[in-house]
Amino acid sequence: MATITSDLLAAPTAASAAEPEKSPVARREYPGALVVVEGIDGSGKSTQLYLLKRWLEIGGYRIHFTEWNSSPLVKSATRRGKQRRLLTPTTFSLLHAADFADRCERQILPLLHGGYLVLADRYIYTAFARDAARECSPHWLRNLYSFAPIPDITFYFRAPLDVAVNRIVAGRPKLKYYEAGMDMGLSLDRAESFRIFQERILNNYDQMIETDNFVLMDGTMRVNKLQKHMRELVAERVDLARFAPKSKRK
Amino acid sequence: MKRTRSNPASNGSSASTARSAKKAKNGNGNGHLASRFYGIPLCGVKPDELSGSLIVVEGTDGSGRSTQIALLTEWLESEGFAVQTMGLRRSYLVGEDIDALLAENAVTRLTLALMYSTDFFDQLERRIIPALRSGLIVLADRYIFTLIARAAVRGIGRDYLHGIYETALRPDLTFWLNVRPEIAFDREFKKSQTISYWESGRDMSLSNDLFQSFIRYQSLIKREFEYLSKKHGFIELDGEAGVSDVNRDLRKRIASHLGIRGTHYKPSHALANLWR
Repeated sequence: MATITSDLLAAPTAASAAEPEKSPVARREYPGALVVVEGIDGSGKSTQLYLLKRWLEIGGYRIHFTEWNSSPLVKSATRRGKQRRLLTPTTFSLLHAADFADRCERQILPLLHGGYLVLADRYIYTAFARDAARECSPHWLRNLYSFAPIPDITFYFRAPLDVAVNRIVAGRPKLKYYEAGMDMGLSLDRAESFRIFQERILNNYDQMIETDNFVLMDGTMRVNKLQKHMRELVAERVDLARFAPKSKRK
Repeated sequence: MKRTRSNPASNGSSASTARSAKKAKNGNGNGHLASRFYGIPLCGVKPDELSGSLIVVEGTDGSGRSTQIALLTEWLESEGFAVQTMGLRRSYLVGEDIDALLAENAVTRLTLALMYSTDFFDQLERRIIPALRSGLIVLADRYIFTLIARAAVRGIGRDYLHGIYETALRPDLTFWLNVRPEIAFDREFKKSQTISYWESGRDMSLSNDLFQSFIRYQSLIKREFEYLSKKHGFIELDGEAGVSDVNRDLRKRIASHLGIRGTHYKPSHALANLWR
């Protein structure tokens, strides 16, 4: 059983004790499980999560896949901010946090309570690594996302900077403004700016390996070998039988 | 007119702002920096560049906030001060999006709280800070305190909310126009012939009766404000007093903060209808 360790959803204070039975409690337990992949662009994480999802889907498991920045609620604001380049590090971070909160409150938490195995392509660590690279305070960021449930496993896909950057640049004709970190004024050259920005993000991810119990995955390994390893780790750490179809349960 | 509470500590720190700006230039910037922000300063902002003043007027709907801000703007302009205003849902970035979310009544409390904080920081970073850099007087029609109170009564942790807003600017003066919920109800009802979904806290299922729901919700908000008032040294004014009395009190406080000698003011013809 995983728990939410944050005190965000705290017991109601004297002032807000109007409906105690409706207010959430500090620590919640749920029957679901949360598996997360993290890593810089081009590290191979999405490919690996897709393969993991296919494996579980084909097996008939109770799963749900969710990815970063997919909520329709804040999409228009994000688009407007990006098009007109209005976003500062703070508002960029808050808008993504609002988006994540929406997904967390309306998708991830209900699914975890409903006993689903939730697979997330990017999670709060993406915000920690990326927004800290924009010089938001790490302490402020940790507080901002303290409502998020802690994953059961966080896979961190790590590929050398050159490998990852080349994978992205080769596949994309034009890097977007914020994606390349152009708002930081790192370089006038978009590809160069992207590289410097990704390097900062990579360093921030590396610092979280220990503090956030990342499972380090070598993004340069062959796809099928890496996937085999990933499946073994999931089977080891998550009680998959809980999510299996009835026919497979004993 | 009763003035129930004022906090000498906050007065002292705001009055010393101009003086400490000088000190900050001499390399003693830390004290000043601490007085301008609640915690870590917003990235890219040097506190000693902000020569303007930030004056906040808080209070529930029906407390007379907007009326007072309109009058104060005219008074300050007549005294030769340039004024910039801010308020909730007025950012270009997400103001309209929040309107749309509120209209749907489908948004969850945390998402809404974070959308409001985005709205707040967009205005703060792109309008208010540049205005303060240019020496303007910023009049805020509500500030982080309303946002904190609304989220806190919905069970979002106070520490969490303070953490989000710790990079916000600390106002020079914060006025709280305090009115009883029953009076706020009368005034709001008179104004719009109905009571809004959100101002009566209907998302909180407090009561099926709209009047009861409004009173219970506004009472919860008021208790949250009493706590915030102590913590942040609000200047509490009796919002049930007459417009001209409340305005005279506001002018007195602001005049002493800005070093304006006389506080005489009579609204122009355009605003005369507000002067009750």
